[in-house]
Amino acid sequence: MQETQQHNPGHLGSDPQKVRGKTIVKGLGFNSFGIGTNACYVDIDEERDAILRIRPLRYTDHYTPEDLNAWKIEARGKTFEPGFKTLISPLSLSYKKRIYSKNRIPCPLKRVDWDPEGARNPQNRGTSGYTRISWDEAAKLIAKEIKRVHDSYGPASVLCEYDGHGETKIVHASHGCMTKMFELCGGFTSQQRNPDSWEGWYWGAKHIWGMDPLGQNSLQNNCVKDVSENGDALLFWGCDPETTPLGWGGYMASRLCFWFTDIGVKQIHISPDVNYTNAVHADKWIPVLPNTDAALQLAIAYTWITEGTYDAEYLASHAVGFENFAHYVMGGEDGIAKTPKWAEAICGVPAYTIKAFARYWASKAVSIVHCNGGSYIRSTFSHEPARLEVALLGMQGLGKPGANQFKLLEWTLFGIETVTPLPPSTNIPNIGPAYRGWVKGAQPSFIPKTMIPEALMNPPISWYGHIGAGLPREDQFTGPYTFPLEGNERIHMVWSDTPCWETCWNGGYHMQDALRHESIECVVVQHPWMENECLLADIILPTNTKFETEDIGTDSDSGQWNTVFWEQRAINPLADSKSDKEAVAEVARALEAYGGIYEDLYNRYLGHKTDDEWIKVGFDSCGAPESLSFDDFKEKQFYPFPTRKDWKEMPAGLIGFYRDPEANPLQTPSGKLEYYSTSLAYYFPNDKERSPIPRWVDKSDEHEERTYLPRGRQYPYLLVSNHPHFRVHAQHDDVTWLREIETCKVTGPDGYKYEPIWVNPKDAGKLGLKTGDIAKIYNERGGVLGGVIVTERIIEGAIYQDHGSRVDTIVLGAGGLDRGGANNLIAPKATTSKNSAGEVTSGFLVNIEKVDVFALAKQYPEAFSRAFDKDCGLIASVRIVEEV
Amino acid sequence: MSKVFVFDHSRCNGCRNCQLACKDEHVGTDWLPYALSQPDTGQFWLKLEERVRGQVPKVKVAYTPVLCQHCASAPCRDAAEKAGKPDAVYRRDDGLVIFDPAFSGDLSLATALVESCPFSAAWLDETRGCAQKCTGCAHLVDAGELPHCVDVCPHEALRFGEEEDFAAEIAAAGYLLDSEASAACKPQVYYLNKPKRFIGGIVVDLEIDEVLIGAKVTLENLETGDVRACETDEFGDFWFQQIDAAHYKVYVEAQGYMTRVVEASCVHEDINIGPVAMSRAFGEAVG
Repeated sequence: MQETQQHNPGHLGSDPQKVRGKTIVKGLGFNSFGIGTNACYVDIDEERDAILRIRPLRYTDHYTPEDLNAWKIEARGKTFEPGFKTLISPLSLSYKKRIYSKNRIPCPLKRVDWDPEGARNPQNRGTSGYTRISWDEAAKLIAKEIKRVHDSYGPASVLCEYDGHGETKIVHASHGCMTKMFELCGGFTSQQRNPDSWEGWYWGAKHIWGMDPLGQNSLQNNCVKDVSENGDALLFWGCDPETTPLGWGGYMASRLCFWFTDIGVKQIHISPDVNYTNAVHADKWIPVLPNTDAALQLAIAYTWITEGTYDAEYLASHAVGFENFAHYVMGGEDGIAKTPKWAEAICGVPAYTIKAFARYWASKAVSIVHCNGGSYIRSTFSHEPARLEVALLGMQGLGKPGANQFKLLEWTLFGIETVTPLPPSTNIPNIGPAYRGWVKGAQPSFIPKTMIPEALMNPPISWYGHIGAGLPREDQFTGPYTFPLEGNERIHMVWSDTPCWETCWNGGYHMQDALRHESIECVVVQHPWMENECLLADIILPTNTKFETEDIGTDSDSGQWNTVFWEQRAINPLADSKSDKEAVAEVARALEAYGGIYEDLYNRYLGHKTDDEWIKVGFDSCGAPESLSFDDFKEKQFYPFPTRKDWKEMPAGLIGFYRDPEANPLQTPSGKLEYYSTSLAYYFPNDKERSPIPRWVDKSDEHEERTYLPRGRQYPYLLVSNHPHFRVHAQHDDVTWLREIETCKVTGPDGYKYEPIWVNPKDAGKLGLKTGDIAKIYNERGGVLGGVIVTERIIEGAIYQDHGSRVDTIVLGAGGLDRGGANNLIAPKATTSKNSAGEVTSGFLVNIEKVDVFALAKQYPEAFSRAFDKDCGLIASVRIVEEV
Repeated sequence: MSKVFVFDHSRCNGCRNCQLACKDEHVGTDWLPYALSQPDTGQFWLKLEERVRGQVPKVKVAYTPVLCQHCASAPCRDAAEKAGKPDAVYRRDDGLVIFDPAFSGDLSLATALVESCPFSAAWLDETRGCAQKCTGCAHLVDAGELPHCVDVCPHEALRFGEEEDFAAEIAAAGYLLDSEASAACKPQVYYLNKPKRFIGGIVVDLEIDEVLIGAKVTLENLETGDVRACETDEFGDFWFQQIDAAHYKVYVEAQGYMTRVVEASCVHEDINIGPVAMSRAFGEAVG
């Protein structure tokens, strides 16, 4: 897509006005869901229709520190201030390269061997090329397919995939516009987004301490102030604030880490890898084998029980069922005492360190901090470590000064006022009424995201709970639900604006098989970039980025001041692209030809309003003071809500529960910490994987992901797959300025940039691997390639590769091989546990071996002869062929 | 009056905003009269270098930004003079050193400029026949703004301003390279808290499977005889930071135990000695 590259401008340097350009505001967060974040200034050169630079927004450009009621935290003779410019992340800063990527889809495309009037060749999805068609042709083709599927099978045979991450846009929402349309003409089957970032806490921790909606602490107010004043240490349990918040929050969390160092709060990291926070901020690293944290936690409990160093009095008044838990820990149930020596054999932490750690914790005020993700919370049986963490916090008087759990991201999640540990703003602006993306609420026909391949290939399937992120604890006990609903047909058409299932979910090779299944007659994908499931589509609609549209946005995750802003259009739409909303509108218009339920669909879909009118709707609902007119707002371009006046008086964390559990009960049935969950005992009495008390679980009928079990002899390494440092899941993989960083990609002898694999030097010695080698990590589900970096940043017995690298498949489907290093392809297909439909995408078994890419190229000439750009990697033009 | 950059290692989180801001500012945009556009990839007018230090479980990463040092006695100016093009490199009144893009098209001059830089901070564009590098975002400085890399640093680890305003930092700082030759260039980029070496370890009694807290650990530099001491912490750990690259002896003493001596060299890299297993002195009961 050479023609869309930014052109050289000529001589601008002498004129300060031209140097600065025209400044507009954009929210450059990538979480989608209509939640905006990462407010940035963007300087543009209108004359040239070009972006000059992306830089921090300055709150004080239009507002004084007094207007902002600027907060500060004072502790131990030092002061922490949030700063008056936004703390933007490299993923925002490098976004120009995403906008102008050579991988942008230039025009509507149709798969060459998909003929809706004849042979559809579903088996060729993923291998055959595409030919250019017009928007008109594309819209009519899709409309005709919808009409046909509606008439032949019914509306629930259309699966909409519209959840997950993407650009944060409101009026031109990146996800779910098609559901707005389908809702007006018969409905659809929904791919139900599950609590992917919070799996273990959602499925496990909720049952010990309630804490809807996510199972992580929902009472975090003033936890940072509390730790600053009263805390001795913070446990970063698989937590990486230098990485995970970057898509939706910037560097406030990083600043807090420096602050905690400055005031002497010890930062202890527990993880298999030296993540980017550990590398800079940690005082102590306790390496643990992936997904064995539960054994470590049980041994800590054992140490406290045997040494009498837990708060028995607190448990007597604040907990139920502790005796059941203690009985299990001491070996009363299975004859195995959960001693430090027992744990050492499983988790690799020396018993002497476990004991020292347990004693340290018992003698200090310790809080746990989280940033979601990683093997700790997204592996098999992840509900167990998540519950055990709360069990341990309870044993040391959870809620006492300095002893809480809080998060270093998602500080206003779901608009909840109590989930920010920092001084909150007066409002969390809600511009939801202007949101034109996905239809909120559960659909009658739905499929958990983790079970999509099974649902497509082997219906019917069933499960418990609605699975949606943010539902109350009790929802997990509802069901079983089934797909398809009684009287409905299976799925025959798929429409996705979130085409990254393969590289973000559990068992991606099965998704490739599902999308190539003979029952799937039509696959539509709308997306700006030719990546991942775009390559499995029959029709592709080229959508555009937020720089090409006008919108309204918010940023409530900066930790500074919640802000609402007007997002002017920065540049004209590139090539033949439309916004996601406009793309769906084209189909709605084409459907009108069929009359009936499709009558006036275009205007109904648009809500009878123009973009400008929707932006005004957003402003009117955002909660800005009445004194601020819409025109004023547009002139200043943003409005920050000041810090709450009463923030210092807000109770810190769980201090209320700590002081008076009867007056401030938890959301568990008893209102107390439930070391024995009566709900789990009642609803799932035969569930050995998630039993009423938290345990060490070796394996199940579906999972055997332990190095010491027989499968571990074949696949002797545990894979750590974190939220990527240089991407937001599947986003940003084509950014040339990131890809040229030596630790972002490893250039192979064939010039291809492979996704890094970290190997400990001792393992590398055994395996004959060295930095720069290309290797395959694999199990019976298939293999993916990567470039080896031998490093002390990963422990022996573990292999590290971030997830989300673009799929570049050599052999498609189960047992396949992928060049891009999209390791979710080889993650287990089965969910967290029997009754927990979460994902398992880290902490699973693999083996690794060196490969010769030139030998592979001979073996798979077709895949290896596909052209790629040396800097950008895969590019759209390679898949576009002439009409056959 | 001269502008300087000051970088503080102890405030850098390694985010690479500085490196990317340079790309954002200069790729695809000419900022004449100071610079032609930077090629999309391959050139790093500011490059953040990273180095992994130590071994499991004592591992750190050090980050160092490498950019034009805007030397007061710049070897590139000498090179330009030697090439008979003295105006190809000039130092502005504010101290920023500029390769004049008007001299593009002279590959041998460009090559000479690139090769003259002891900091590897200048880059060759063979196609356009020019040498390129950090301009200090002179175009932005002229417009009253900060260099883009400085503006986007979330921790003010990279700062820019008048030399006199940074007098205290400059007094405490070092240069990118430690050599005398580099000092002779009088670089105007200063580095605070440059990482030296570390030696760490953990003291244990394997018989009772416990760490030893409060053990006395003494570090002796075998070249200078300098001695430093500390006590093991609650985890049995000791960690000597910011020591010279040298050969050392580590003495571990604990009440009731025989003293252990371990030799360790951190000449080439930071060292985690690992567990130092202590044996009880004769007649001493298990602690």
